[in-house]
Amino acid sequence: MTDLSVQFTGVTKTYPHFTLSDVDLKLPTGSIMGFVGANGAGKSTTIRILMGLVHQDRGAVEVLGHAMPSQQAAAKRDIGFVSEDMRLYGPATLAWHMEFIRSIYPQWDALYAQDLLRRFDLKPAQKIKGLSHGQRVKAALLLALARRPRLLVLDEPTTGLDPVARCEVLGELMAVLADEERTIFFSSQNTLDVEQISDQITFIDRGRIIDSADKEIFLDRWRRLRLVLPPDTTLPRLPGIVQVGGSSRLPVLTISRFDPAMVAACQEAGASVQAVDSMTLEEIFIVNVQSRREGAIA
Amino acid sequence: MNISIVARLIWKDWYLNRGLFVGSILLGLLTLGAVATAKGAFLPLILGVIVLATILIGMGAVLMSSMVNERRQQTLPFVMSLPISYLEYTVSKLAGSLFIFFVLWLALLLGMIVTILLTPWFPHGLIPFVIIMSVEILVTTCLIAAVSVTTESQGWTIGVTQVGGLALNAVGFSIVRLPGIRDSISGSAVHWTSTATVLLLAEFAVIALMLGTAFFVQSRKRDFV
Repeated sequence: MTDLSVQFTGVTKTYPHFTLSDVDLKLPTGSIMGFVGANGAGKSTTIRILMGLVHQDRGAVEVLGHAMPSQQAAAKRDIGFVSEDMRLYGPATLAWHMEFIRSIYPQWDALYAQDLLRRFDLKPAQKIKGLSHGQRVKAALLLALARRPRLLVLDEPTTGLDPVARCEVLGELMAVLADEERTIFFSSQNTLDVEQISDQITFIDRGRIIDSADKEIFLDRWRRLRLVLPPDTTLPRLPGIVQVGGSSRLPVLTISRFDPAMVAACQEAGASVQAVDSMTLEEIFIVNVQSRREGAIA
Repeated sequence: MNISIVARLIWKDWYLNRGLFVGSILLGLLTLGAVATAKGAFLPLILGVIVLATILIGMGAVLMSSMVNERRQQTLPFVMSLPISYLEYTVSKLAGSLFIFFVLWLALLLGMIVTILLTPWFPHGLIPFVIIMSVEILVTTCLIAAVSVTTESQGWTIGVTQVGGLALNAVGFSIVRLPGIRDSISGSAVHWTSTATVLLLAEFAVIALMLGTAFFVQSRKRDFV
């Protein structure tokens, strides 16, 4: 049986203008899950429920073996949390924050914290209010990482960063993550960030989980077939076609369950296959969301 | 209840407000010094009372609205990422803010009593009234705390602070007209009447009721960030 760090079962949360519906989610220990969705899709609500900050109306949430929200204090001893809307105390220095966190977490790793200070190029004596947004994100990451959490929850940590700062934060984060095996839940609307870091991907849209799989499976099973269709030839009926673009003579099929045998099937139907293109995670996400909204994918 | 983390959070609030606290103490002591050396002159006395009341109500409002500020300044997700429940957070906020305020309040109250006792210009019969009005400021501060914690609204907190400040004048005028207070206020000795005792007990009962209500409301909340 797989050891799970996070498990959502039928979780529902209703607000006046938004509903998170029947979320089922499993995050195996040691894996890095990218949680992708547009603005208002339900990423932050899901993470707040995961952290015990919002109580679900229905369903069960278990984090590191603790039922949430009732056992949130125990669960949070082993969780490092950084969110885009999280701020540190402006008048205090980073050194003060480090001492504050050290006093709460016995597993605080002072040597590791010093290493992160160097890698993130942060000065402990500097007050938080004097830091740039990128530096504040790095400071929050340092405070989360040096407590050596079993589960790291990152809610859009790169949002609002300029491209250079985003690249720096992501690069440092990847280097840090390469250090050892951690379980990470990483939400973002930036698929490029998620693609770089994650080994599992979950898409959420309008409060519903619309797809969830290993990243490699995602990237392998989604393809674009560019065909040339002679007159009086019809498109072959293939499983998993979610979108048909291009023209009637030069159709482009987007397929969610690609199999190399499909190329032969197209050729047998009289079509010539010009190209089989891989898709980026962003393309997959967009097509997935569009087709779900249009009802093309059940 | 994780007392250790609650204590850490109280220490954090103390650290973040220490400058304001020390400044308030110094300003309060300077004001008392000015009142004590004014030889009972009316204007310095009135100004001194206004400054002391402003220090206490202002500092009370700043401390008690720290929960609203924590949400507004977006430091709440950082605190709530720590291994605490929301009830523990509420305890730390209320207990911490009230403790810091209480130290300031007690220092200034003792300063006022010492000033009355050591200077020849003020009748000692004033002391019960000073204590009752100081506790009334404590009531106002607890009201601000309860509203701030339960509504988490800056608008409501500011509104209650203003109403509380104005109500203090009305309460003061009403109390000073009560026979049990009025008849002994100018006396040369401290005379603790049953009216004064009832007023104090009523004030403490109101404080207990407000804080109890705040905890009750907090324990029923489901969404915190």
